[in-house]
Amino acid sequence: MAIRELKVCLLGDTGVGKSSIVCRFVQDHFDHNISPTIGASFMTKTVPCGNELHKFLIWDTAGQERFHSLAPMYYRGSAAAVIVYDITKQDSFVTLKKWVKELKEHGPDNIVMAIAGNKCDLADIREVTFKEAKEYADSIGAIAVETSAKNSINIEEVFQGISRKIPPLDPYENGEIGAMKLGRPSLQSTNRCC
Amino acid sequence: MSELGAKPRSRKLGRRCTSSTQESLVLVEGIYVKTVSPGVVESFLKKEEDFLKKLSLISSTVLNVLLQADESDTAGKDHLKSIIVINERFHALFDLTAGCYKTLTELHEESSVDVYDLYIVKKERNFIQAYTQYFLGVTNHIATKGFDRVSRAASNHWKSNKRGLKTLIAETLDISFTVFLQRVFTEPFRSHVQTYSLLLSQLSEKSGEDAKRTSSIDLSHAYHNLSKYIGQVLDEASQTKQLWATLSHKLTAALYTLERRLQEDSKNVPIVTTSGKQDRILLFDDVLVFIQGHETHICDLKTLWVDSSTKPTYKQSNQVLRIVTPEAEFLLSCKEPQNQALWQWKLNQLIRQRVNGSRDFPLWGKTGEANEPPTSRVSSYTYKNDSRYKNATYHGDMSWGKPHGKGTLTWPDGRNYVGDFQYGQENGFGVCLVPSSLEDRYDCYKCHWVNGAMLGYGICEFADESVYKGYFKDNMRHGYGVLENLASGSNPFKYTGNWYKDKMSGYGVWDSSHKGERYIGMWRNNQRQGHGIVLTHMGACYQGTFSLNKLVGPGILISEDGSVYEGEFTEECLLAGKGKLTFNNGFTLVGTFNRNQTTSGLQAQGVLNTSCEDLTESMKRKFQFGEGVLPIEERWHDIFEHFQKFLESGCRKETEESFLGFHVKSNKKLEQAQEYLYCQRESDDVSGKIEDILKEMSLHLEQESMQCYLEKAFKSSHHPLMKLMKELCVAYQATYSGIGSNLHLLSMAQEEIKHYATKIWEFYSALKVMASGENKKVVPAGGVEEISEEVNPYTVVLPPLLPYFHEDLSMLYMLYHQQEDKHYWQGIVRLGTLTDTKLLEFLDVQRQLWPLKDIKLTANQRYSIVRHKCFHSATECLQKITTVMDPRQKLEIILKTYAEIEKTVLRVVDKDYKLPMDDLLPLLIYVVSRAGIQRLGAEIHFIYDLMDPSIRGGIYDFLLTALESCYEHIQREEIRLYK
Repeated sequence: MAIRELKVCLLGDTGVGKSSIVCRFVQDHFDHNISPTIGASFMTKTVPCGNELHKFLIWDTAGQERFHSLAPMYYRGSAAAVIVYDITKQDSFVTLKKWVKELKEHGPDNIVMAIAGNKCDLADIREVTFKEAKEYADSIGAIAVETSAKNSINIEEVFQGISRKIPPLDPYENGEIGAMKLGRPSLQSTNRCC
Repeated sequence: MSELGAKPRSRKLGRRCTSSTQESLVLVEGIYVKTVSPGVVESFLKKEEDFLKKLSLISSTVLNVLLQADESDTAGKDHLKSIIVINERFHALFDLTAGCYKTLTELHEESSVDVYDLYIVKKERNFIQAYTQYFLGVTNHIATKGFDRVSRAASNHWKSNKRGLKTLIAETLDISFTVFLQRVFTEPFRSHVQTYSLLLSQLSEKSGEDAKRTSSIDLSHAYHNLSKYIGQVLDEASQTKQLWATLSHKLTAALYTLERRLQEDSKNVPIVTTSGKQDRILLFDDVLVFIQGHETHICDLKTLWVDSSTKPTYKQSNQVLRIVTPEAEFLLSCKEPQNQALWQWKLNQLIRQRVNGSRDFPLWGKTGEANEPPTSRVSSYTYKNDSRYKNATYHGDMSWGKPHGKGTLTWPDGRNYVGDFQYGQENGFGVCLVPSSLEDRYDCYKCHWVNGAMLGYGICEFADESVYKGYFKDNMRHGYGVLENLASGSNPFKYTGNWYKDKMSGYGVWDSSHKGERYIGMWRNNQRQGHGIVLTHMGACYQGTFSLNKLVGPGILISEDGSVYEGEFTEECLLAGKGKLTFNNGFTLVGTFNRNQTTSGLQAQGVLNTSCEDLTESMKRKFQFGEGVLPIEERWHDIFEHFQKFLESGCRKETEESFLGFHVKSNKKLEQAQEYLYCQRESDDVSGKIEDILKEMSLHLEQESMQCYLEKAFKSSHHPLMKLMKELCVAYQATYSGIGSNLHLLSMAQEEIKHYATKIWEFYSALKVMASGENKKVVPAGGVEEISEEVNPYTVVLPPLLPYFHEDLSMLYMLYHQQEDKHYWQGIVRLGTLTDTKLLEFLDVQRQLWPLKDIKLTANQRYSIVRHKCFHSATECLQKITTVMDPRQKLEIILKTYAEIEKTVLRVVDKDYKLPMDDLLPLLIYVVSRAGIQRLGAEIHFIYDLMDPSIRGGIYDFLLTALESCYEHIQREEIRLYK
């Protein structure tokens, strides 16, 4: 089965549980290939999707406000972005909107966006309603899921949603040439601004 | 005469005493000393005495008279000369005979005489030589009718002295004086030689012992041969004399030489050419002559080949002889097969003797082995009619009428070629000198030739002191080549690039040290045509489109202060028409530009924008040339093409030089000199055979061993890939070193290096296919290579390749990142002033991650004042990044650095803790700031460009990005200017 590598970038305020979601996602399932990781900052996981295997290369970003300007380096070449907010913190949802705006403007074309409202186990102190999030997500064509890394709720759904939204390979190139190559995210030319 | 008598005795003693082998022979067999009885010696003495008397009579009554002849005309003078020669040789014989007589008188007194003490045995060689020389002189005189003349001239004298002369020869009745004189000069000598021969053969019979017999027979054999020889030369001479008498004056004048002798005549032994036109064929000892009406073909036997294997072309039943000469071929046939065999035998004998440069002794005696003339011989020939070689003289190996092997061809105008020939044409390696219009100057081509034309690699030193090193085709510069003119007088320049039919065409780099300018781009017909880039030594540079050497249409110019003009150009560097000027402070001017005719300044009408808000404008300063206009496939295409052809030709060693350039010894000092002088090449000092190279290649399958193999291959002077590398280095340096160290070329440069690696990988794979022997056909280049994870151009070729280009390339990265690296360094210096705890605090590292446990405080220290103690292992690890060149190895170091950070953190937190980016990034910034690596920006960009693209998105890419973000962060004003 063809393996497709998909770079996924995690965005969101510090403390919303970006890495917890990934840790949960990666740990919950047995992975044949034990791939090296960089703590919780870089992780990989392969999941089947249709007749393909999607290998998620998950890049964490620093959520601190002062590192925001470094984010473009991380999301360049990403196939998808998971933007995480804390349903108990309205501020984090505001930050999320900023990320969405930035991605729309400077992110890769056709990037798949998923909005994850984390800490849904703490619904009683919720500040952001799912309806609000869902409506926003629909308006930007993103996936909206409420998750709980702690209770392992909806974690997989986030990535399944991304898998489904990744356009399938070009029918004629599929199988003809190694999927490894095609699966690689299209990367910018070498002429970068540093 | 007295010394002649003394010498033999002392020699005899000397021989007996010193020669121990002969002494032992005496002891063992006891029969060695063969004695000659006194009676024999006495009769021999008598004969010698008679002969001496005869000789002195000839001398006094005949020779002296001939010598006194008073000759006035030229023919007579020639005759007199030949008489003088005869006289000299006559007296040499006289002396030798006198010596013989003298020794005999001494031996006569001894009781027993050793046969080897006989003068004629001891001095056999001298005797043979004296007689052959004498008869050569006499026969020359006979053949040239000399005796006829002198007998007429002095007939009165002969008549009056008839009686005295009668004693010299037996029958003198009714013969002319001519014949008489001839006989006087020949008969006594001939018969005396026979006396010697007889005497010696009698002696050997008498002795009877088998062991001695052989040697005695040998002795008489020489005189026997001599007597045979005398008969033969006399026959030749009289035949030749007859020929000269019967041939027309014109022919005689054309053919006559003193020593030429007729060997065969088609009148005597009939032979005809199959064309039937020639009416006479004469074979002399040095030439073969075809006489046809008024035309005469004279063919030197040195350059004549006889082929008897040719089948007759038409119904003739007899075989034919094919006579091959450099410019003509004849077919000869005889009605009688035995006649043809005779002609063929004589021709071959004479050719062999002519080639050897000496006649056989005796002339026709020998049969048996090595009697055929060699097919390949060293000879000279001057062409008369050949279209290419007309009037040229060839000297060297020839085979079947054609230059074949090594030789020299010289034209009357001074042109010459020295080198290899094949089937009559220059083929192989050769040096050709062509006189130029400049006096005493030559264009010197050292080149490979195929079928008479230059093809493949060569060096030409032109008369104007410019030097071309590169490829040729059809005697023209064609393919890749470097033309350099460093002569002080004219404009020194260097062109590195493509040639087409002797003209600069295609991609090439022109360097003018005089103007301090470099052009990188496309050419046609020796002119700039198409896209090109110009770099000036002042720092300004531009890219545009050229037509007939002139810059036209849209282009981009970047001045030395960083201002950028994008728009229309005319001529060299003149802003004309619509354009946009971006100043280095970010102001932009959009409008119409033109040159003011009166002040020669620049005039512009347009809108000046001072907002500087568009960030992309500032990036113009780093505009990269060549992108999209000089596609990588077009650059140095022919260098790869030549290698590809070499592969397609089957990688044979003998063609390697022609495809890949001259072989040079690896000694660095000699390299330069030898590329010029290495013309006398011997194949045996090239020890590395292609087969061995291929064989070794097939053993390497792992990424690491392949890498090692290539590393060695690039260094080995015998490896074809090494020569490719050398060419690439020359091409690369021509573009990117010196004034090519320009940040606007970075993109082109790194792209080129990756392209080199890809091409070398292709060739390497093709060579490997050949090595495996599965498929002798080479995989066509340019096919889509399956780039596997493990082995690909980036993992196998790039690591050994990079060291050759690293210096110039890293310079470009440094220039590109100069500004950022400066800011980064300010940040590093600033952060360096902070203590460890201050820095950790400043970077907002969670307190639980502070590795204070690691720090061993001395008595007067507190945590708050220590520096460079935290994460020390990670810092040290990261610093190693500059010690390696391979991007992959650099990435490994970054990964290890992370591992060190993680180790430290785990030790501090003491539980399984997965670092999220929120924590990792500050820690990484901490480590980077402490590592203080210079020019980190250039370093990161280098890794990013040259790392294996298949690992993009993966763990290494992530870490590199993390490092890059640290670099970015440290450049921030809030850090640089932290108070």
